[in-house]
Amino acid sequence: MNLQLLVSGIAMGFIYAMVSMGMVLIFRAVNIVNFAQGEFLMFGGYFCYMFNRQLHLPIVPSLILAALAMGVVGVIFMFTSYWPLRNAQIRAIVVSAMGASIVFKEGARLIWGSIPVTVDRVVKGTTLIANTAVVQWQNIAIIGISFALIFFVYLLLERTFIGNIMQATAQDRYMASLVGIPVVLSIALTFALSAFITGVGGGLLAPLFFLNNTMGYTTNAKAFAAVVIGGFGSVPGAVIGGLLVGLIEAFGGAYISTTYQLVIIYVVLVFFLMFRPQGIFGTRIQEKA
Amino acid sequence: MRNGSAAENRPVLSLSKVSKRFGGVVAANEVSFNLYAGEVLGLIGPNGAGKTTLINLITGVTPADEGVITLFERDVTKLPTHTRAKLGIVRTFQHPRILDRCDVYTNLAVGADLASRRRAATRSGRQARLEQLLELAGLDEVNLRDPIDKLSYGQQKLLEVVRAMLSEPVVLLLDEPAAGLNRAEMAHIVKLISLATADKIAVLLIEHAMDLVMSICHRVTVLNFGQQITTGSPAEVQNDPQVIQAYLGGAASAAR
Amino acid sequence: MVNRQINLKNAVFAAFILALCLSVPGFTDSYMLRVFNIAWITCLCVLSNYVLLGMCGQNSFAQAGLWGVGAYITANVVMKLGLPPLVALILAGLGSGFLAFVLGFAFFRLRAYYFTFASVGLMTILNGLFMNWTPYTGGALGISNVPSFSLGSLVVKTEKANYYLIFVVCVIAYLLIKKLYNSALGRSFMAIRDNEMAANCLGINSLLTKSIAFGITGILCGVAGALYAFLSGYLSYQTFTYQQSTMYLIMLMLGGTSAPSGAVIGTMIISLLQEWVRPLQNYMQLFYGLGIVLLMIVQPEGILGGGRALYEKWLSRRKPASTVAQ
Repeated sequence: MNLQLLVSGIAMGFIYAMVSMGMVLIFRAVNIVNFAQGEFLMFGGYFCYMFNRQLHLPIVPSLILAALAMGVVGVIFMFTSYWPLRNAQIRAIVVSAMGASIVFKEGARLIWGSIPVTVDRVVKGTTLIANTAVVQWQNIAIIGISFALIFFVYLLLERTFIGNIMQATAQDRYMASLVGIPVVLSIALTFALSAFITGVGGGLLAPLFFLNNTMGYTTNAKAFAAVVIGGFGSVPGAVIGGLLVGLIEAFGGAYISTTYQLVIIYVVLVFFLMFRPQGIFGTRIQEKA
Repeated sequence: MRNGSAAENRPVLSLSKVSKRFGGVVAANEVSFNLYAGEVLGLIGPNGAGKTTLINLITGVTPADEGVITLFERDVTKLPTHTRAKLGIVRTFQHPRILDRCDVYTNLAVGADLASRRRAATRSGRQARLEQLLELAGLDEVNLRDPIDKLSYGQQKLLEVVRAMLSEPVVLLLDEPAAGLNRAEMAHIVKLISLATADKIAVLLIEHAMDLVMSICHRVTVLNFGQQITTGSPAEVQNDPQVIQAYLGGAASAAR
Repeated sequence: MVNRQINLKNAVFAAFILALCLSVPGFTDSYMLRVFNIAWITCLCVLSNYVLLGMCGQNSFAQAGLWGVGAYITANVVMKLGLPPLVALILAGLGSGFLAFVLGFAFFRLRAYYFTFASVGLMTILNGLFMNWTPYTGGALGISNVPSFSLGSLVVKTEKANYYLIFVVCVIAYLLIKKLYNSALGRSFMAIRDNEMAANCLGINSLLTKSIAFGITGILCGVAGALYAFLSGYLSYQTFTYQQSTMYLIMLMLGGTSAPSGAVIGTMIISLLQEWVRPLQNYMQLFYGLGIVLLMIVQPEGILGGGRALYEKWLSRRKPASTVAQ
């Protein structure tokens, strides 16, 4: 077992886990697959770049500010691309999200240019694990920070009043409004949280892979695969799916072919769809009679 | 229409000990009955008695746990819904399942398409049949090119029966066709069912409107909590003390 | 009487559109003509999306992949097997259609959303194959010098000749789809779209019918791929991408999903718009994205839906006047 590969696979897996978790949060709240989720990661990364490299703040406050800014972006996204369409057909919302992803991509290009950029590492240098594997500290930082954030969001959903409100809205919007839950607020909060957790990933990823305005698509594709593999609508599923995708990518890239990386992930995805469409954690989505 | 008097004696559709459970709820418990060509069998019972479930079982929308369903002595219990429809088991729904983004014509044509897929009737008769059915249903004034949502709820329910009849079914399963209809529309339902019996179609009718059931059904079977209480002529059922106790009590006095 | 008037009006309108389309090579330079050629090829793919999404209600993101399959089949059949282009064109349609039909059987066993997911997977896998399967796709370098279409001694080499070839194929496809719309098969598509259970209870086999719809999509995209291979002569994996598939969806939604004309309108508007606003290139994509969001908010039924709403408003305004006249 290649330890170095394992660590970087898990680190990337956690990044994907954050994206797919954001995707699942929105899916559970409004029943829509957000085709612009990958753009949240890209935009979050650029915000981090802005605070860190353009405004010369240290990396940790930059990450925090970027994540908060993404929360605001999430709310704006919700009010412009989803809320006016909440009663329209699903495909109209899907197309609207695609339009929004173009806006994100082009917006980033016009603001920050199309030359790849990077940000500071949270922890510099490398370390030796088990005397054999040279591992970048940034990878370990990614794992730690992502794990903490994912755990935080999970607790927020499962253990707090706000989480209850969000889950109630997700389950039955009409009932929620009847018992006095402010549905708009609850959905807006979900989008904010989704963009927040996905946006952090961009800043963490940037020192390893550079940022560019077109990275949203591949990220989205991988997160999407993670969500389906994990089980649609399941938060733990999204995390496990994300980790799996990260590992498949790392080991598939090393042992099979780097050019086939995305293909391998999607072969696994199609395999899952055929033989276990409910994913690892999901329950079968049944159509109502 | 179908092969003469010899066929009259044997049932078209036969259920034998058909059961279905949803978790702890027994929706159908060893239900058995025969349905003959040209007869209307009423299926009554209080809400939640398992009437619609029974239609779902016969059409295969829900698979049966136990029991055998045969059509002309052919076992259809394990066949998928569309195959059963192609064999001539056609139904309507409690709330009309129309094609809501299509026009009236397309909604009717999908019924006729089933008839041609089963080669049930000759093409030359189709137009006449359509006109006859539309007139009986009181839909002859409707513009066939109108979008379907221009029709009232009652008209949509009638249209669903017409659509089912256009498929030239062997067995017609009607799930509360008169619910939500006004008097005039109910009269159209009666006319359509009469035509079905005249055409030797076997009709299973779920209905809450007791006067309709009593006037149109040849036999009635009563269901309560998935259990078949009794089967008999409308008069017999009406006077069965068990039935009166379980269900008819209020409704029977209301019908008088 | 009224019907005949409407038919006459429609015929005149159709003739006008046809004449307009046929006269395009007369007033455009070869650069613009290439734009039109690509637009009509795209139109075939968007029409295929109309069949699958507009008629059958199934959303796929694999169209660009099937388009690529058609293109690579054509290149291989013509260049490796040395068969005539017409045979390649037919094989491209059949091959791509067969692939879609068979995969449809696997994918449509999954319900609801899952087909769309699987189609994204298929798209990604196909693109990966185009990029890496060097013996048949040329890998990252692609395939160059695919010969032009020819039929006997008639060689379709010029931009103008290609225009007529592609346009004729489009018209045929359009008419066939119109025919499909009024056929039992077309109705079974729409029955599945509107109410799958009612469709099953009327003897329609969901799995088979949806697979046929996907197969038809494959055929149309495959033929489009063949035409693209003949026209461009050069195939690269960068052409047949997921983004291209999303573009097809956007085009269809812009035009409207209620009729095949929606597919044509949407394709033409986006294809030509991209050219006309080229001077504003830098901001174009941004406005394009904003435009899509705005369109979905204002008119999710697309231009056709908007047009119909306007027409109905006009009719209802006219009606009271005519009753007074009586």
